[in-house]
Amino acid sequence: MDLGLQGKKAIVVGGARGIGFAVAEVLAREGCDIALSARGEDSVKDAVASLSRYGTKVIGKPVNVRKADEYKEWLDWAIEALDGVDVLIPLSSAGGGIGSEKYWSNAFETDVMGPVRAVEAAIPHMTKQGSGSIVLVATTSALEAMGGPQAYNAMKASLITYGKQLALAHGKDGIRVNVVSPGPVEFEGGNWDMIKGTMEKFYAAQLRQQPMGRLGKPEEIARAIVFLASEAASWCSGSHLVVDGAYTNRTHF
Amino acid sequence: MWDTARMDVKRVVDVIRVDPSTVTTGTPVEKAPEPELGTAIIPAERYYSEEFMKLEWERVWTKVWLLGGRADDISEPGDYICTDIGKESVLIVRQHDGALRAFPNVCLHRGNRLRPEGLGNATEFRCMYHHWTYGLDGVIERLPDLCTFTQGGPPGMALPSLPCTEWNSFVWFSLNPEVEPFDDYIAPLKQHLEPYHPERMAWKRDVTVEWDCNWKAAVDAFNESYHVQGVHPQLKWYLDDVNIQIDCYERHTRYMIPFATISPRVALPSQIPPAIDEIMRNAGMDPAEYEGRITDIRRDVQLFKRKHGPAQGKDYSALNDDQLTDDFHYLIFPNASLNVHADDVLMFRMRPHATDPNKMLYDVWVFELVPEGEEWPERVKHRRFKHGDRSIGQVLDQDAYNLPTVQLGMKSDNFPGLWIGEQELRIRHFHKVLDDYIYGPGGKSPDDI
Repeated sequence: MDLGLQGKKAIVVGGARGIGFAVAEVLAREGCDIALSARGEDSVKDAVASLSRYGTKVIGKPVNVRKADEYKEWLDWAIEALDGVDVLIPLSSAGGGIGSEKYWSNAFETDVMGPVRAVEAAIPHMTKQGSGSIVLVATTSALEAMGGPQAYNAMKASLITYGKQLALAHGKDGIRVNVVSPGPVEFEGGNWDMIKGTMEKFYAAQLRQQPMGRLGKPEEIARAIVFLASEAASWCSGSHLVVDGAYTNRTHF
Repeated sequence: MWDTARMDVKRVVDVIRVDPSTVTTGTPVEKAPEPELGTAIIPAERYYSEEFMKLEWERVWTKVWLLGGRADDISEPGDYICTDIGKESVLIVRQHDGALRAFPNVCLHRGNRLRPEGLGNATEFRCMYHHWTYGLDGVIERLPDLCTFTQGGPPGMALPSLPCTEWNSFVWFSLNPEVEPFDDYIAPLKQHLEPYHPERMAWKRDVTVEWDCNWKAAVDAFNESYHVQGVHPQLKWYLDDVNIQIDCYERHTRYMIPFATISPRVALPSQIPPAIDEIMRNAGMDPAEYEGRITDIRRDVQLFKRKHGPAQGKDYSALNDDQLTDDFHYLIFPNASLNVHADDVLMFRMRPHATDPNKMLYDVWVFELVPEGEEWPERVKHRRFKHGDRSIGQVLDQDAYNLPTVQLGMKSDNFPGLWIGEQELRIRHFHKVLDDYIYGPGGKSPDDI
């Protein structure tokens, strides 16, 4: 199956590690030019260096998504440097946390306004060219209890609603919008890697709840995201795809 | 010093440390010259041999200064600590004039113990058997029917006096009447440990656990950080077990372990690990507000505590920045192992069993800084139990877990002794100091255990 991604221009916000890096890597392998961001300069440098081996144009610059002006400038820079944008995947996250009100504003700024600002920067360009694909990344923690009542789960949940409504509003412009909700994913330096090391029993309990006896891998989420982002998914819009190895208990009618 | 890049690490980390040349008062941080201690095996037999245990008793336990207890437990006249060491038991008693005296806890009449182990207050020490009665100063005040002892009372009509002293909130004693001055013995650690002001800290935990291992196996267990990757995997998201500084002094040693940081043995996480989150909260920081990188947290906690400590009633003025986060771990020879921190002290006393080299007593003492203006908490009660009967917390349970099987393995014909690496230099130093006590300085021959 041809994904039709050759020569496309993709922006991955939060593309230096974990699922974001895996997304950027699959896109690069499929022939996309890529602009990626991360908080740290070193992380960006490492990711760009690593992805350049696929031979497409890969650029990156550090940015703090929570700083609206700096972030908007970054988005403009990325679109200009790529000379357009066909695929947008904003997935940087502030992560979880309980006990401080500040977690709510952090999650709002990063997990909600991160995608919102990226979408607002990309839509005019996509509308103009009459095509574009956006994938928002939520979480199974929006669907079922995980880690206690916290901003991360609630803010990520809002992307599911936002994604569907974007799809409804921009279908006429040739823009597709989909949402992917990954279950627990493990990679070196990721949260579940740390949980495995610091909370062995909790980790083992999670594994027992996994029908396939393991957690997901970043590339397994990335392939689903990239599929929805690609031309191969031309009739998928407004969809919400749970990618969790059947981890969640609820039935997705 | 080992090459951290060639160890089993994922990253090479350059730890920010206090510049020794800027430390003119307080705890020295300068690297002490590394002793040349060779690479020989440390014989396993010394961990189970009754003969070696006897030598230790004759040449170490009855010769050195020993940790007796906490000074503020005996602040009033008549307050006493009764503490056992091997086959001996000692009374350390606060006198009417505020001085301390120590005596063997034994009635000179028929040998009965005067008091059970523990704390108490007495106006006199009266033996339960025939009511021989001793004053706080150990002098026999009443010897019923003295006239029936044709030989008179015991020499001097008093319990023998044992050397004792008070230093840095703790009381120390010796079974050796000829012991060297305490100041000479403890050197150079006065300058190291006084800046922590343990007198501002209150009892938080007081536990004694019976362990099925030789006391030295327990000393060894806390004398290196190499075991973190083995028994404490969770601490890799809490401390740097690779970039440590080891300092060996005449008979005592220490190492300094950076806390509030990520071990080079694991990839950097993107979220603040729970244990570091807790360090930040305890300092008064809100981890959710934190804008820096994970690798900057240790330094930022130091700066935050420096700035906000005084307002929190915490006077850190005698401590350097590293001490505001890091673990400075000391072994006071032979058996006091201390993790000292700006806000608490977690210390252990490893005591030999009276008769069995395969058993020991492990005392856990925890003290916490009481911020100025806050009420001094009630003293915690002492608890005693056997290994495995109760938890002593995740980290110490992990430390304790292997010790009984270490003790069993020591006896294998296929285990000649400990194969010690550079990260375990303090173990080698400890055994060298022990050797010098046992066999005389440099007197250990290759055939000696």
